[in-house]
Amino acid sequence: MIEFDVRTTDDGIGVVVPRGRLNMVAARELRETLTGLVDSGTPRIVVDLAETTFLDSSALGALVAGLKTARQAGGDLRIARPTESVMTVFRLTNLDKVLRPRDDVESAFHG
Amino acid sequence: MAEAEVVSETFEAPVEPESLDLVQDRLAAFWAHDESVSPADRLRLELAVVEVVANIVEHAFALDADRRGRMLTVELSMSADRVEAVLSDNGVPASLDLGAVTMPDADATSGRGLALAVAAVDEVGYDRVDGCNQWRLVCRRTAD
Repeated sequence: MIEFDVRTTDDGIGVVVPRGRLNMVAARELRETLTGLVDSGTPRIVVDLAETTFLDSSALGALVAGLKTARQAGGDLRIARPTESVMTVFRLTNLDKVLRPRDDVESAFHG
Repeated sequence: MAEAEVVSETFEAPVEPESLDLVQDRLAAFWAHDESVSPADRLRLELAVVEVVANIVEHAFALDADRRGRMLTVELSMSADRVEAVLSDNGVPASLDLGAVTMPDADATSGRGLALAVAAVDEVGYDRVDGCNQWRLVCRRTAD
């Protein structure tokens, strides 16, 4: 089960907060959410993973696809506050360098 | 848990994406039999199970026109030194070489599933048994 919170900050940065498990079912929704943000003129996105209890390869695919889409539109996708479970998956798939975790949502686009 | 004791549990699930949550819920409940299984080991087995179930949902029935009677059986077991899952489905034979599974490049948007399963646990085995695909996932328990 999963819920997504989506908001846009005053700086025009899209913040997506998946709450629960990001598996095959949720990954589709994540991909659509990220594409929707870019299409609506918000190519700078932070995915806040603090409340994501589990993440699988389909969710990784959605994040990588979102990253590409955001960059093609002149923006970027960054991730913040991953749980230990999520970091384990990033390390096992060698994505910890590409999806370098930021300490918090607010500073994810600073530096 | 006594040295030789094995706790096991078997359940069935329909072969559809929505079954992933069911399987994950059952796995979460299964850990209550032994609280000493470390969070790292729980995650390792869960990752492998989720990736193989997703693979079954995506591939095992792709060429099968008959949507009825598609069933996945999950057998979970744990003992003092290992946690294990055996997943069986009555779909078409999987054509794969587990030894050739590699992790795709960082910019790939798919194809990480089985590589992640192989990376997560100690053993991933595939066999065709009595007309079913059978996957065996073994995680040897670690202390932390």
